[in-house]
Amino acid sequence: MSAPPSDPLPLTAPGITVSLTHSPLNPLTPLTFVKSPKAGAVVLFAGTTRDSFDARPVATLAYESYAPLALTTLLSIATALKAKHGLLGVAIVHRLGEVPVGEESILIAVSAPHRQAAWRAGEEALEETKRRAEIWKLERFVGGEGVWRANRDGVMGVKVEERKEERGA
Amino acid sequence: MASHWPPPGHFALLYFAAASEFTRRSVENIPAPIHATGLFGVIEQRYPGITDKVLSSCAVTVNLQYVDLDGDDAADKDLIIQEGDEVAIIPPVSSG
Repeated sequence: MSAPPSDPLPLTAPGITVSLTHSPLNPLTPLTFVKSPKAGAVVLFAGTTRDSFDARPVATLAYESYAPLALTTLLSIATALKAKHGLLGVAIVHRLGEVPVGEESILIAVSAPHRQAAWRAGEEALEETKRRAEIWKLERFVGGEGVWRANRDGVMGVKVEERKEERGA
Repeated sequence: MASHWPPPGHFALLYFAAASEFTRRSVENIPAPIHATGLFGVIEQRYPGITDKVLSSCAVTVNLQYVDLDGDDAADKDLIIQEGDEVAIIPPVSSG
């Protein structure tokens, strides 16, 4: 087995941390980061890999990223939301490489003095991340076919196996 | 991902997701300088069919900045990709 790829260093700003890692995610890490005696509300979102897409069984999922750009984008999202909602803390961590079905691929934690701001900011952080962060998901279906997903337009992206056959023809 | 240092007279071109599946590589060195507006043409020559299948839905970054190359009045239509630049093809993203 080859050594696991090294993780890029997290980017931080006051009250903000964003990171990418090949290791399993621990929900306590972002939760602990954003907690504060001034924060009456902490919202934690855990995105978990599903075992199907459009009722088709998914065998494995893997994520890759353009790490320096993705981290810059995540920091920009966190910074904007912290200002917009008066947040005390924001932590976003996304997993890379293969993620077994049922494990977390993303954790977002936000804290605010009151719950309304925290709820709204948590949802916005996820939507903005899915829209903008330079991270890609490869779903391999049972049977071997692979598909790069695209959040932006909801299409299934490019079928890996079909294209390989075309090139071989 | 570690930074990629192209040899003299070249820029680094990075492929991700569907783009890297098509080219079967994640990075290659391309002779510089070239006009940014000519980038897709250079890639199409190396990988016939990639424009329709992949590039038409992709964005482009140069040194971690998105560039605007669409249309006659595009902000970066006069941009020259220089030796040592890091250029990336960015397919539609799918995190979360």
